[in-house]
Amino acid sequence: MPGPYPGQVVRVHSDRSIDAASDKVNRELVKQMLASGMTALTGDARVSDAWARFISPKDVVGIKVNCSGAPKICSSPEVVAGIAENLIAVGVPAKQIYVYERFDGQLRSVGYGKYLPDGVNIQAAETSRGSVLGYDPRTYVETSFFGEEDTRSNLVWLVSQTLTKIVNVPNMKEHQAAGVTGCLKNIAYGNFSNVDRSHRFEKTNTYSFIGTLAATEPVRSRVVLNIMDGLRGVWHAGPFSEHAKFRFYPKQIMFGTDPVAMDHQLIEAIEEKRKAEGAVSLFDRSPSHVGKDNSDPNTNHFIREPGHVEYASKLGLGVFDSAKIKLKAIDL
Amino acid sequence: MLLLLAAVPGLFWDGAADTAAALRDAGIKQVLVPPAHLADWTRVPGISAAAGDLQGAVKLLAPTVNYRIDQASASRAPWLVSNGWRFLRQPEGRFYYEAAGKQSALAAAEAFCYGANAVIHTDAAGLKPLAEMLEFLGGAGGEPMPPVADIGFIDDGSPVSGEVMNLMVRDNLLFRIISAPDPHLKLTVRLGTKEYPAADAKNPSLMAHVIRGNLTDEERSVRIYGSPVVVARLTASGGHARLHLLNYTGATRAVDGIRVRVLGQYPKHRLAAAGSPGLELLDYGVEPDATEFTLPQLKTYAVIDLSR
Repeated sequence: MPGPYPGQVVRVHSDRSIDAASDKVNRELVKQMLASGMTALTGDARVSDAWARFISPKDVVGIKVNCSGAPKICSSPEVVAGIAENLIAVGVPAKQIYVYERFDGQLRSVGYGKYLPDGVNIQAAETSRGSVLGYDPRTYVETSFFGEEDTRSNLVWLVSQTLTKIVNVPNMKEHQAAGVTGCLKNIAYGNFSNVDRSHRFEKTNTYSFIGTLAATEPVRSRVVLNIMDGLRGVWHAGPFSEHAKFRFYPKQIMFGTDPVAMDHQLIEAIEEKRKAEGAVSLFDRSPSHVGKDNSDPNTNHFIREPGHVEYASKLGLGVFDSAKIKLKAIDL
Repeated sequence: MLLLLAAVPGLFWDGAADTAAALRDAGIKQVLVPPAHLADWTRVPGISAAAGDLQGAVKLLAPTVNYRIDQASASRAPWLVSNGWRFLRQPEGRFYYEAAGKQSALAAAEAFCYGANAVIHTDAAGLKPLAEMLEFLGGAGGEPMPPVADIGFIDDGSPVSGEVMNLMVRDNLLFRIISAPDPHLKLTVRLGTKEYPAADAKNPSLMAHVIRGNLTDEERSVRIYGSPVVVARLTASGGHARLHLLNYTGATRAVDGIRVRVLGQYPKHRLAAAGSPGLELLDYGVEPDATEFTLPQLKTYAVIDLSR
């Protein structure tokens, strides 16, 4: 990261991609959106050529999904399956593809197996919540936020030992602590253990911790592509989706190699939605809006830190400056 | 310096001799009984009985973890009910546990790892887990070695000092009680001084954090990563160290893996984990200043012998 296309974002939107009334995804249209997005990002005429820029048949590829709001909102199985099919089309054997997430219960609740090509692996780092066994004991970021006893956040074993490339598939969600949870947070907090310690109190440490983890090798160099699944979204009380009233349907998928530029687009999309709903800005830091009852869109458990995206740009992870971001918008 | 003697605690049983079958079925081979019952119990085959008396013994809390998730608190750290500080304050004391069910096993392990003179009073459900733990402890003894301490704590005997010691035990800050500063220790703590004001000690958790900060994590002889409910006790002599690990949720659930860091280079190791025969340490590594390994599962109690 930020890869070969810094500052470039492709947004493919289709009103027919998902039916808001039934919540049903149009799988064929998702395939078209994936094809359109990848060719627009790379400039290739053939879809397989676009994928081949990032992935070779020898790669062992991880598809990092986001299931923290599952089963209501997560990396849609239709999108994830479409990505796996493209990987297989460029010659990656199914057995060399891993759909992975940290928590087994969340991952299982989605049921990816029904959608994925035969042979694709589905793997969680924590089959038992809190277990250290799915993490590399020798690859960690060590820091103390508030005197917690366990000061290490360890990298998922699969990432450090097995994968050669990662396709990052976050959602479009507000996050109560981080402001938004997009490319950066999915690849950072989704690949390391013991990260919830960064947001135990109203004032969190998400501002710098997300970028720090995302910039840690080998994560940084193995994430070659970000595909943000915005068929569904959450504009408040994320990353979970306990309140149906805070879900919405952006009906889009974003593509890029630059997680900062993409997350900047995410901030703008969530801000726009919150504004339309009469909710305070993600950047609001008023203590009067901090409280327990986040069923009120103007109350949040934490002071949000959407500035983590700009901070990540200072670590060299991508382009934050709007003037330097090139957005290609496609409507199908 | 006191050596940590491996004293296996005993079962105190106040039932009549006609309850012997239940004990025998559970695997209990020795029992302490009230003097009034001793004559009857000495006639029971297969169980060795001796007179025991709880009079004058300090009653302990059954070791466990209270998560208190329904209560607001300044910390989300689980509350460990640990008796380690009591043993350290009264090394010559006599103690007894009221520990029902599987807590009996954890109680036995806790007393054993501190070398405490303790007996355990349990119920019928606690007999089998206790018998299994006592059998394990019977084979877990080694040569007596002095406890490792990083901190010297000058104990004024007050309840506040007791609670600070309790927090240090729970936070794996290894200390021993001293009467005057010892240059062999890395840090001396005396409450009521400029560094450790008495007013601050009224928040023992905060005081334990201050002590940890002054010691620094780099100087801690033992670190536990991956679980807030495991308490460590370390003894060492020469090129040999013995690490005791207690899981305070052991009565209800195992801990699925912890990473352990022990200061010093110990290329050799031997693990004995109660209820987990054949378990092996994972990812064992010897660094220039420390030894690290992963214990893949901790049911209630494990002891790891480390050597050069």
